[in-house]
Amino acid sequence: MTDRNGTTNGNGGYRRTAVVMHWLIAVSIFFLFASSWWMLALPLPSAVFRFREFPFQLHKNVGITLVVLLGILLYVRLRHRPPELPLSSWMKRVATIDHVALYVLILATCISGYLSSSFSGWGTTLWWTIDLPNWGYEDEDLNIFFSDIHLWTCWALLAVVAVHIGGAVYHAFKDDGIVRRMLRF
Amino acid sequence: MSRPASASPAWQSWLGTVAVVLGVLLAAAHGTEWTKQRVLAYATPEDGILPAAECPEDELIEEGLSLGECEQLVENVRRYVVSAPEWFLGFQSTLAAIGTLLAFVSIGVGVALVDRRSWAPAAAVVVFGALALVDAAGFVAALNTGPILREVYLWNALLWFSLHFMMTIGAAAGRASLGAPA
Repeated sequence: MTDRNGTTNGNGGYRRTAVVMHWLIAVSIFFLFASSWWMLALPLPSAVFRFREFPFQLHKNVGITLVVLLGILLYVRLRHRPPELPLSSWMKRVATIDHVALYVLILATCISGYLSSSFSGWGTTLWWTIDLPNWGYEDEDLNIFFSDIHLWTCWALLAVVAVHIGGAVYHAFKDDGIVRRMLRF
Repeated sequence: MSRPASASPAWQSWLGTVAVVLGVLLAAAHGTEWTKQRVLAYATPEDGILPAAECPEDELIEEGLSLGECEQLVENVRRYVVSAPEWFLGFQSTLAAIGTLLAFVSIGVGVALVDRRSWAPAAAVVVFGALALVDAAGFVAALNTGPILREVYLWNALLWFSLHFMMTIGAAAGRASLGAPA
């Protein structure tokens, strides 16, 4: 079967790279949610209390990696677009809106998080190897501003993810072959 | 080799999708638990005694915390530390690492079930069964701690065990319906 770019594409689903990226992104997003709820309940940082150092750095690094994974996914998805969805027009519209909302919210969440961190006075070391330059300066108001954006885009992302999963489960239980586009080797 | 959807029972699609969704959530959960154990192991003072909380005014505003909440954050760690036997942090860390790996594998098995791979039903029985064993091990470990940690861990372990147990049985039953030995 050929995709909309004219390249041969197995069973008409997404490319294997896109599939792998998708599931890595899915796990990363839920890990970021679960770990953030826990790490915000750790004691505030000081010379004595260093509980937050590791989980906050890990959170930022997974977030940065998430943006890279998303970039790869979007590149592959646009270069090798699978055949049109065999759905009604309103379902196709909902699916398109949901996917675009996902991409926008993931980027907004990661960027606002990084900006919040940039104005927090805390540095970021990329996977404990490279010290990333500090784009901002210590400014409590800007830190809180971007932190609030980070929080609200997170909740919006969770809602859109729930719609996304709901749609996938709906098609899986209908067994109409739609989910096989992303659940494939 | 994968069978066309029409030639295979729908249970593979259903179970596979459930396995993938739960696998994603479980990978996140076990990953978080591993992070938690690592943090507690390395950031808790060797004597296990935590000093009083430090709660600067500007930090309270930034975090949206009251002074009482800030002090309680230290108490939360303290209650965990006093309830955990010496072996618990290392055991939980190892179990969480194994659980995270198995969760990723279960995502792959779920995909294989939906993709109608011939080896998927057998792999599902093994992987879901292994996940149930991890949950059981976590349950037993929590039983052997104090009441504070039992309150934290027992219910979650039981819930996940129930899910994985049902999935294991479901995979075995589905496999049997395909004519393969259960």
